[in-house]
Amino acid sequence: MKGETVKSLHPPPPSSAVGFIDEERLRRQRRGLAALGHSAIEVVDEIRAMYRVLEQTLYFTVRGEVRWGAVAQNMYDIGNRSLVFVCVVMGFIGMILVYQAGLQTMRVVPDLSNLGATYLELLVGELGPTICGLMLATRVGAGIAAEIGSMTVTEQVDALRMCAADPVDYLVKPRFVASVIMTLFLAVLASAVAFASGMLTGNVFFDINPRTFANLSVVDGGDLTVGMVKCIAYGAAIPVVSGHCGLSTYGGSEGVGQATTRAVVNSSLTVIILDFLISVAGYVVFGP
Amino acid sequence: MGSSLTPHATNAVASVGSGFLEVARVVGGMAVLAFGAGTRVVRLRLDWPELVRNMHKMGVKSLPIVIVTAVFTGGIMVIQAAPIVERYQAHGLLGWGAGFGTLRELGPLLVALMISGRVGANNTAELGTMVVTEQIDALRALAIDPMSYLVAPRFVGIVVTLFLSNVFAVLLALLGAAYSGYALLGVAPMVFYQGLTGGLLGVGDFFHGVLKSVVFGVVIAMSSCHFGLSTSGGAPGVGRSVNSTVVVSAVGIFVLDYLVSFLFG
Repeated sequence: MKGETVKSLHPPPPSSAVGFIDEERLRRQRRGLAALGHSAIEVVDEIRAMYRVLEQTLYFTVRGEVRWGAVAQNMYDIGNRSLVFVCVVMGFIGMILVYQAGLQTMRVVPDLSNLGATYLELLVGELGPTICGLMLATRVGAGIAAEIGSMTVTEQVDALRMCAADPVDYLVKPRFVASVIMTLFLAVLASAVAFASGMLTGNVFFDINPRTFANLSVVDGGDLTVGMVKCIAYGAAIPVVSGHCGLSTYGGSEGVGQATTRAVVNSSLTVIILDFLISVAGYVVFGP
Repeated sequence: MGSSLTPHATNAVASVGSGFLEVARVVGGMAVLAFGAGTRVVRLRLDWPELVRNMHKMGVKSLPIVIVTAVFTGGIMVIQAAPIVERYQAHGLLGWGAGFGTLRELGPLLVALMISGRVGANNTAELGTMVVTEQIDALRALAIDPMSYLVAPRFVGIVVTLFLSNVFAVLLALLGAAYSGYALLGVAPMVFYQGLTGGLLGVGDFFHGVLKSVVFGVVIAMSSCHFGLSTSGGAPGVGRSVNSTVVVSAVGIFVLDYLVSFLFG
């Protein structure tokens, strides 16, 4: 059974030479309904393969033992080395949002005393986790896929299988555990950075007193729970999606590039779709 | 702490300095590349079949991703605006809130991030593969200018793709927002439309977003071509360049988003 699962992670290379242009021509030959059906089947297959990787990862995380050395190494790669990137991006996001929101609110009401409270509520439930998740999807997703993908094309993954080490257990699981832990920490830190830069912008451009801005009254348990659930969901999804892309790489350096691209796109889309689903669930459970 | 500068400089000053030099090297490389591609575009010395091929590959084939992103963005905007709308009972303002968020910020930003992942990363992978398999050297040996054959068409292709995708995506996102507002809050699409066109939003807001998307397109084109052409070291090298491209594009997008918002606010 295990053999079958492992085999299905490796799609057979296309019969013609692997290339950007050949694939293009193949796709152009399928027209109309056939093209639509073909791409629908492709999407379903991809989702099923990802689900299988998720299943295996969870199985190994619960049943097998976790190698904490590898987890710590990955936590450093995923967390510490994304720190500057995430902080720069979130600092700018905080400045942009408060500036734009301030200008727009002035068009309707000249009173900006509620700006900070509303901004904080949005930041905790939505923007902090999601923008941070999107940034990690690009940086961490691309990193994981590039690493595992180049191991796959240089046959190191096959060597692992020869040593009776399951690639999902050995490669994906430590990244999964590390990413779930670090995404939570990074999102909390990122939200704090975005709030601080927003507070500064509010003070400089709109003369809002930092004490008025830092108003915690509208943030409730619901917002906090939704934000936390989002962090954990993104942290779990990114390594699974990009680990799958890395393991299904074929065809030399071109293949590694394509796998990395696919990892970035698929993990970003997963973050956006999860965001929508969790937000709807939060709206239904906690009310407006 | 050794005072002499060793190759693996471990002290803080040296690491700050080398980080700064690294940033300067990347920004300088991107600027030189952009200048080279820009002069080719202005003199119309670019390969037209290659341009058409790239625009098809970048634009038409990104359509499914753009559609999914846009529809979900609209939905997310409405869900986030919902508590505020309910609190103040301001159903008429939902169109305005979702509209200004989508047109000015979230639409261009999310489309640019998705296109950066799909097109920018793909572009780097392609160019990087050509570099490590020495195809660029082969072009030079055939007296074909790689700038006008490879780089300039990609520049134009990415900028045009992002511009068109943005226009398409914000319209689709507003449609998604109108119907999710109807489903979640019971705000009729007509009320949403009136809030959108009620005078609080102007054509300027739309063009603000369009301007942003063009600027983001230039950033994505610059970083993806630069990292693609400076790839070294086989298959792992291609993976590393793709990784750097998406990181640099994302930072560039956010920094320029701030500057454009601030200068043309």
